[in-house]
Amino acid sequence: MRQVLDTLKGFYRQHRVLVFLALLVVMILLPVLFPKSYFMGVMCRILIYSVLAGALNAINGYSGQTCLGMAGFFCIGSYCEAILAVKAGWNFWMILPIAGIVTAAIGFVLAIPTLKMSGIYLSIVTLGFSEIVRLIALNWTGLTGGPMGIKGIPVPSFFGFEIKNSRSYYYIFLALAVLFIFVTNRVIKSRVGRAWISIREDQLAARSLGVQASRYKALNFTYGAFWAGLAGACYAPYVRFIDSTFFTLDEGWNILSMVIIGGQGTLVGPVVGSVLVNFLTEWLRPIGQWRMVAYALLIIVIMWCRPQGLVGSSDSILAGRSIRRKVSKDKKKEGARV
Amino acid sequence: MVYVLNQLINGLCQGAIYALMAIGYSVVVGVVGMVTFTHGEVIMIGAFAAYYTFLLCGNNLFIGFIVSFAASWVLGMLVYKVCYERFFNAPRHISLLCTIGFSMLVKNLAQMVFGPNQKPMLDVVDNTFYELGSAQITLVQLVIIATVIVLAVLLSLLFNKTKFGIRLKAVSQDKSASYLMGINVKRTAMLGNCLGCGLGGVAGLLLAIYYQTLQATMGGSLGMKAFASSVMGGLTDVRFSALGGLLIGIIENLGITISSASFRDVFAFGFLILVLVLKPEGFSKKKGAKV
Amino acid sequence: MKRIVSLLLIAVLALGTLAGCGSSSTPASSTPAASQGEASTAGTDTPAPAEKGTIKLGVLAPLTGTNAEYGKGFEVGMKMAVDKINAAGGANGYQLELVVKDSKGDAKESSDLARQFADDESVLAILGDFTSGSCMANAPIVDEAGIVQLSPTASNPDYAAMSPYCFSIMGRQDGEAPFYAKYILQKYMGMKKVGVIYINSDWGQSCYDNFKKEADAIGLEIVETVSYVQDEKDFSSLITKLKAANPEVIAIMDQGAVPQVINQIRGTGWDIPITTLGPGTSQQLLDLAGANAEGLLLTSPFFFNEDDKDLMAWKEEFVSKAGFQPTIHPACAYDTVNLIAAAIEASGDGEVTRQTIRDNLAAVEMTGVTGPIKFNEAGDITRQYLICGVENGKYVIKEGFDYSKS
Repeated sequence: MRQVLDTLKGFYRQHRVLVFLALLVVMILLPVLFPKSYFMGVMCRILIYSVLAGALNAINGYSGQTCLGMAGFFCIGSYCEAILAVKAGWNFWMILPIAGIVTAAIGFVLAIPTLKMSGIYLSIVTLGFSEIVRLIALNWTGLTGGPMGIKGIPVPSFFGFEIKNSRSYYYIFLALAVLFIFVTNRVIKSRVGRAWISIREDQLAARSLGVQASRYKALNFTYGAFWAGLAGACYAPYVRFIDSTFFTLDEGWNILSMVIIGGQGTLVGPVVGSVLVNFLTEWLRPIGQWRMVAYALLIIVIMWCRPQGLVGSSDSILAGRSIRRKVSKDKKKEGARV
Repeated sequence: MVYVLNQLINGLCQGAIYALMAIGYSVVVGVVGMVTFTHGEVIMIGAFAAYYTFLLCGNNLFIGFIVSFAASWVLGMLVYKVCYERFFNAPRHISLLCTIGFSMLVKNLAQMVFGPNQKPMLDVVDNTFYELGSAQITLVQLVIIATVIVLAVLLSLLFNKTKFGIRLKAVSQDKSASYLMGINVKRTAMLGNCLGCGLGGVAGLLLAIYYQTLQATMGGSLGMKAFASSVMGGLTDVRFSALGGLLIGIIENLGITISSASFRDVFAFGFLILVLVLKPEGFSKKKGAKV
Repeated sequence: MKRIVSLLLIAVLALGTLAGCGSSSTPASSTPAASQGEASTAGTDTPAPAEKGTIKLGVLAPLTGTNAEYGKGFEVGMKMAVDKINAAGGANGYQLELVVKDSKGDAKESSDLARQFADDESVLAILGDFTSGSCMANAPIVDEAGIVQLSPTASNPDYAAMSPYCFSIMGRQDGEAPFYAKYILQKYMGMKKVGVIYINSDWGQSCYDNFKKEADAIGLEIVETVSYVQDEKDFSSLITKLKAANPEVIAIMDQGAVPQVINQIRGTGWDIPITTLGPGTSQQLLDLAGANAEGLLLTSPFFFNEDDKDLMAWKEEFVSKAGFQPTIHPACAYDTVNLIAAAIEASGDGEVTRQTIRDNLAAVEMTGVTGPIKFNEAGDITRQYLICGVENGKYVIKEGFDYSKS
């Protein structure tokens, strides 16, 4: 088993670009191979959640801050798109960057007061923020249509070609996901990404080496929010009707569970999580409500066996290791030693 | 003026329940040293335990208190075993995510076992009310406020006058030192966790008699409220947490007076964020649980 | 050890993914267990040999989640109608079959399932969903697929007009709310000052807007308006607020939370006439509010009249199958199946397709359990309403009231 894995890993390392290209070709051909709109709908969902989970992972997995309010950013992005498209009649492609930037700005504003707090407070503030955003969307009737939501969001067109069903919309989501993974990969490998990781592993050490922790943390939040906003902006014209019930806390837990199950601190993790959770959703439909129980059990099992997630980074604090207490891998006992 | 006074009384009563939830919450966080997201479900289980007790043996409030306390105590043991025991030396976020998973588990199981619809809890306390000058207070509100005060006093006595309480405090302040002093840290932490959960259960019962209804999904927002209330005390100081709960209750109700009930949670979370901006670590001075 | 466990996990999940893949890329009809979800194929116990084959109807219902009881009601009500039709030889010779799926009351979930139905060539019409929000989210999907979405309960005034394939038989709020303002509050009760408490949802907002429009027109004064969001439990401050405005009557506009509001109003010792718009003649309201519901007045498009033998038989049958008392919702669900059956009947000897069902449905006129049904241009209906009240713990029609009297 192990040898097989190692061979696979070796092959992947040598021909990384090839693997990605092959995967991309398959992804591009998918709508041709499986033209069923239901299947494409599931694929669309997988891709959009890959981006959302990826954005959350950029925060949780790379800088070690536990953000729980992803649904709030998602909500802002969606409403931005819907409002500008329906009320101002702007073009989708023009709104897209604006929605991202607006969400990022709000993420930045949210990050400022939370910089001084420890992780726990930050979690609850982001959670509160997510609920506040939803309630504002529900109550500010003049802007958001209140409980009536916004309907008739115009579909984007691409050089005169109307993108109106899941088959063609799939490409927008695919482009978004590929763009996200590509950009995030570059960012993680840059100075900024390394600074985030150093903060995650040991903030004190990072500070002593001259990493301005609070600045990088704020930047990290802004970055995650930006992508969540973009995902939201792409999502609104896809469903054509949004209201505040799309962005409840459950949605936040949903995104979070993908990150936890798939894996934190790697680029592939959230994608794996999104694929797994969404396919499990389809696959476990027969058991109805037990599905949610299965999720919950899965989260607990993962936390017990692999806290960093299925394909998360193993030699990090995410995996339950503390850098300062250097414990060699084979001697490390599980559980608490008091 | 009378109107504002009436709203204040509503807020006070609501705040008393929040305070009880927050007290339980800070005991848990103080003693165990880890944050929990299961408190809402603990509260819900307490409410349901009381509901079924009332169905079986009539509306006896006293028995209801005992049963809801016991049921949530048992759930607390489970939470401890699943979410804390293994993770004392692991990074904090792991047990946090574990409690999130556990809360999802309990919530969905409860929906299947108890059914998704609302259950009535009528006439546990008579619908009488007393005139206080021109304002009025109902018997239910009096019962709730009295219960919370009694429980708070009992808890304070426990923490300061008994050996067990002193052990709890020691564990909450420094686990390794307590270990060296010969305290069974794990057992004490578990008991402290169960105690906090039991208080949460009683809060659940009070909520149910106040709203006259209960539901399997009621825990979600309540857990958040408990957390938000505890922030004043830095999550561990019981007195400030109780104050935070009272304040949130009053602020919510006065907020509703000037706007609408749709904004209820906005006021609660707004208050939370405000406190954190002013005092990022709450108003508590020292480490560990204090009563 | 850890490695092995995680590898096992990955292996199991990978298998699961593949299975998921396999079942989701094939049409529902060929994998009965894997992808039909909660699908319970509702046939008769002894299916008569169908001469022309089977027509599948997709059902979207919230079988789990907060609206689960309504979803259950949908399922039972529709199954009753299908059993009855099939036992009588089917609709135009076709046996009907329901494919029920759980939308969890979640618009996203509902959209996925609507796509699933749209892809499945053998499904010719969709019944559901429960909430207006889910139905509106599905509107573009059914519009593109050209399949009818007939909702028993969506009452958002915008919904049916979103697509020629969208229908609803709940009756719109721009019918019920004005009736409520004019006939119950003003004419029947003779009230001048009303305090309104409503739920801030698409349904509640639409109720309130229509109510206010009518109230302004007929000179009914709304002295105070308060609202709350879904899952609110504590109404004490809202009640205090209403009390301060001194209304003569309270109007509650909600479905689920009405009993709590009534209980808490009575709990503060406030003895004011209460009326409500929304729950209809719901048994759950009586169970949850107990003696507090005495004297309540409400509108309902139809009434389980004890003198009506057929209706009572229907009610008995429903209770025996569902285990709880029906509201208007399952009755509407029952009617939707009959409407589709009528649309299939109307196709005569021609082939039955999604399009013929749609075209015939738009022209159907029938009297269902819930009264006469005829679709207007948009695809919803205008209902006639009754004034009902609670006396001695039971619903009664307030007889002897002349609507024509100005």
